Amino acid sequence: MEDDFRPLLNPEQTGECYSDRGSTDSLDFKTKRPFHVEPRNIVEDDPQERVSAEAAILNSRVNYYSRLTASSDRLLSPPNHVIPGPEELYIYSPLGTAFKVTGSDHSSKNPSIITIFAIWNTMMGTSILSIPWGIKQAGFTLGIIILIFTGLLMLYCCYIVLKSPKAIPYVDASDWEFPDVCRYYFGKFGQWSSWFFSMVSLIGAMVVYWVLMSNFLYNSGQFIYNYAHNVNMSDSEFGTNGSDKVICPFPNTDPGGNYTTSTVYFANSGNETSDVSFENWWSKTNTIPLYLIPLLLPLLCFRSASFFARFTFLGTISVVYLIVLVTIKTVHLGFHLEFHWFDTSQFYVPEFRLLFPQFTGVLTLAFFIHNCIITLMKSNKHQENNVRDLSVAYLLVGLTYLYVGVLIFAAFPSPPLSKDCIEPNFLDNFPTSDVMVFVARTFLLFQMITVYPLLGYLVRVQVMGQIFGNHYPSFFHVLALNILIVGSGVLMAKFYPNIGSIIRFSGATCGLALVFVFPALVQMISLRRQGVLRWPSALFHTFLILLGVANLLAQFFM
Amino acid sequence: MSSTAMKKKVLLMGKSGSGKTSMRSIIFANYIARDTRRLGATSKIDVEHSHVRFLGNLVLNLWDCGGQDTFMENYFTSQRDNIFRNVEVLIYIFDVESRELEKDMHYYQSCLEAILQNSPDAKVFCLVHKMDLVQEDQRDLIFKEREEDLKRLSRPLACTCFRTSIWDETLYKAWSSIVYQLIPNVQQLETNLRNFAQIIEADEVLLFERATFLVISHYQCKEQRDAHRFEKISNIIKQFKLSCSKLAASFQSMEVRNSNFAAFIDVFTSNTYVMVIMSDPSIPSAATLINIRNARKHFEKLERVDGPKHSLHMRMR
Repeated sequence: MEDDFRPLLNPEQTGECYSDRGSTDSLDFKTKRPFHVEPRNIVEDDPQERVSAEAAILNSRVNYYSRLTASSDRLLSPPNHVIPGPEELYIYSPLGTAFKVTGSDHSSKNPSIITIFAIWNTMMGTSILSIPWGIKQAGFTLGIIILIFTGLLMLYCCYIVLKSPKAIPYVDASDWEFPDVCRYYFGKFGQWSSWFFSMVSLIGAMVVYWVLMSNFLYNSGQFIYNYAHNVNMSDSEFGTNGSDKVICPFPNTDPGGNYTTSTVYFANSGNETSDVSFENWWSKTNTIPLYLIPLLLPLLCFRSASFFARFTFLGTISVVYLIVLVTIKTVHLGFHLEFHWFDTSQFYVPEFRLLFPQFTGVLTLAFFIHNCIITLMKSNKHQENNVRDLSVAYLLVGLTYLYVGVLIFAAFPSPPLSKDCIEPNFLDNFPTSDVMVFVARTFLLFQMITVYPLLGYLVRVQVMGQIFGNHYPSFFHVLALNILIVGSGVLMAKFYPNIGSIIRFSGATCGLALVFVFPALVQMISLRRQGVLRWPSALFHTFLILLGVANLLAQFFM
Repeated sequence: MSSTAMKKKVLLMGKSGSGKTSMRSIIFANYIARDTRRLGATSKIDVEHSHVRFLGNLVLNLWDCGGQDTFMENYFTSQRDNIFRNVEVLIYIFDVESRELEKDMHYYQSCLEAILQNSPDAKVFCLVHKMDLVQEDQRDLIFKEREEDLKRLSRPLACTCFRTSIWDETLYKAWSSIVYQLIPNVQQLETNLRNFAQIIEADEVLLFERATFLVISHYQCKEQRDAHRFEKISNIIKQFKLSCSKLAASFQSMEVRNSNFAAFIDVFTSNTYVMVIMSDPSIPSAATLINIRNARKHFEKLERVDGPKHSLHMRMR
């Protein structure tokens, strides 16, 4: 270089250099001697002598290249595929030793118990309110059998979803979710259909939420009004007498027949005109669904939902409170069980009923976690225990549902009321004036108000991402989507507030694709590609697909 | 022959964005200012003439080849003879990720035609660059394909192909090979280097090219553990040179010593630096330095003696 021929130190130029630089680098040149320390000691679990050759030479290159460009220039910074994996990263201490970082800290690993709890928490949805009704629709014995059987079936399907990315050869599928697996096996069709059915479950959940929120808001408001005005509503409701009142909101339905919807307004026999006008302003199906719009529509339009994610603990508290509530009510009411196997009676339902597909539909949504199980299991510390932890989680969920369902069904006071009175939302069987149930309703209302924007965010991300490729294309796109979702919720709440039906239809629909058909097909195809598909296995998986189809069809006919 | 004879050129050519400036910067330890990166991106004619003294008296010219701009192309064609005259080395860089293979080959061929006309004795090297973007198991395959195509296209000229990436040792090794082929009577240098090392009882002796600190040749008396040590030393010294240049100081020699070894880096011939590593710390530095100085005279004679080419490299000292 030309520099070789210039004198070693040019006094004028160095003078210039001194003044050009800031005070920080001024005269302290001795400390700025460049040095390079190759560490000799590594501190980690197994004794090892040196930093690996790859890491050392990459370190040398990165050091050198960083001198060639300005610090903000990314031209010569190492791209991601060049940087070694986390097992090869060392932290250099100034004393010359290097420490290996054990474990990856970008995805924190949880012990099994946390993973099991996360799965339980995610699966526990509002379907818990419909389990007693489902047991009633299927019959007590058949209901229990179906619950266990469906739980096991869905556990198996979840297991094959969980292991599906691992069976994909030649491709790094470690950060794939189940829709990506469907895209790998079935192309664009697989991607779009798994997206569509996932949407069905999400939007179904959002509609159910709107109906329930209207319900809870109505009851809470009614309770507060009655408490404030000392109105006693007990005469106008058909139910038991005594302190733990259980009511039958629609006593005119015939047992054993299809559930007919009837929007019955409670004409309050009270003489105050203010009561009547309050009824008009505070009506479960007429006005309250609309009152929720100004509260929730703005929340849906937020760009990020991370604020609402903090409130997931409310869901756990609600479920625990519900369990406590159910226990206390059972203790107070006692058991009322009579086993009529196939015949209908005035107060009881047969043990085996033809309406059981309605319960399987509800259970398909109740046990549904297949679209996010892979992500949830990724943070499990001991990955080899994944199957065990999943099974334990399903067991706990099944036990919770069974507990709530059986106890409510058994404790339902049958001599004065028919078992057929059990509502798709079992809290509706308790009067507005019940304090414990009021607390439950308020809890659930708050919980739903915080989960609703989260669900809306998920729907928005999936819809906008799939159709426009951008999570937030413009405010008007998002607003249009939100209006559609809210509109469907309001319409359902006005005209068809039967959450049992909404749950079973949306459950059976999304279950068809994401629980039965796609996992079974994926399993069969991957087994065949590996050459280990035996005919009993093929038969069983085909049977699963047929079950899924039958489940959906039965919802329409039963 | 006067020292103002026509300077021979090293042409570094390739498509815009193929990595020429980064490569030049890394090999020759030049700071890349932000603006230089926009070389060839617009219709402005951006040609870099770096007066890097490389291998004696070669001037490094960096050219963007095959820009979209017709103005650029016209200038290129009209100045062709000027550009391609007196070329000692042509280094052509191909981006392995390029989608326009046909076009790239077309431009390469036109450069070769110009070389054939104007500097038929030039050495041609082709670098298939950015290989880190290709999956590891496919790299050999893809490089072999390209090499075959390039060798076929280059006839009657002979081209040497390398695959390179700035993120592994291939870049350093490729340029070391290029420099090795360009150093005059390098085999003789190597034999003499071995003799020199054995006489002074050194553990290892390295010969570096002066401008780039690429290792031209080395002698080691026993197996060394670190295969990447040449590149590391090169990087360290280039970083040191960068620091020195900030002070307008220049680097001539260095001694590093501890209880286990002593290492000496010093100017050797007009084209080279030498690094001597002694594992016997009892030998005083002065002795080794005298040995190096004496060897220097001998090696300079070697370089000066052979071939008419060298008369061009003589500088009036």
